[in-house]
Amino acid sequence: MIPRARIDIRPFACPLTWVKTRIALERLAEGEALEVLLAEGEPLENLPRSAAEEGHRLLAAEPAPAEGPGAWRIVLVKGAPREEGI
Amino acid sequence: MALSERRIARHARQLLLPGMGEAGQERLLAARVRVVGAGPVAGPALLYLAAAGVGTLWVDDPDPSSEADAGAWIHPPDGWGRPRSAAAVEAVREVSDLVEVGVARPGARPTAVLVAGAAQEVARAVAEEARLLGLPHVVADADGEGGAVTVVPVGAPCYACAFRAGHGAEATPAATAQVGALAALEMVLLVSGSVQEPAARRIEVVRGQPVARATLRLPGCACAGVAARLAP
Repeated sequence: MIPRARIDIRPFACPLTWVKTRIALERLAEGEALEVLLAEGEPLENLPRSAAEEGHRLLAAEPAPAEGPGAWRIVLVKGAPREEGI
Repeated sequence: MALSERRIARHARQLLLPGMGEAGQERLLAARVRVVGAGPVAGPALLYLAAAGVGTLWVDDPDPSSEADAGAWIHPPDGWGRPRSAAAVEAVREVSDLVEVGVARPGARPTAVLVAGAAQEVARAVAEEARLLGLPHVVADADGEGGAVTVVPVGAPCYACAFRAGHGAEATPAATAQVGALAALEMVLLVSGSVQEPAARRIEVVRGQPVARATLRLPGCACAGVAARLAP
């Protein structure tokens, strides 16, 4: 699957890492993929979990040494919109 | 109206709330809220509306501030005697440079109205004006150790339908702040579209305990006619 969009969240810290990813996902249609370039450690541990909690699917996760030391590339597939509202 | 990087960073945690997201935050940014009142109920409401990312705030209260505004958060003692509107505008600018804030001018076209701590007859008149203009509105008043926040989405049963007399006691400073903050929250929910089908309701706070009641239209109330005309 070819990602529809790509973002690099390495310059950001939590919670902006997830905020940026979520906004990018909001702009996709269900079933489309987003490639996220992130740093190993906290973002790599937490981002896939946050995405899964909101119904998105982790398609791939792999080191991306060509992008710099500690860089990882993950691909998320947008899930069905959740029931939102309060 | 796309969000800038600064706005995304400023409102990062709010952007993650259920129902908010980028679209909700953009609706807040596009909103122009007229706030009637700039006293102890309005002060916290203004600051929280600015903090939430409402794009434009117009403050409407020409009366001079006084010692009675000591609990308003936005009127320090050395400014007592100045028009409340002007002082409120300065106070809001101090907490956020991302909001357009000014004194309300005749002819300005808000997208929503908050009535905060106004006299009862003023609250009724402004709420009715907002209803006739098809603007969502929130009316907040403090009373003793609590108060009430009435939320009126477009076309919903009106403020008069929801009204219940309070006991009329002088409000404590904490009660005014609590009611003002609650009014800001309700306005944010209304304007951001976080609630998919917002219902008219009145939240009464009695000694810190909130009780929300859905507003039922009073039989024969004029708001039924306008609501029918506004319905798609």
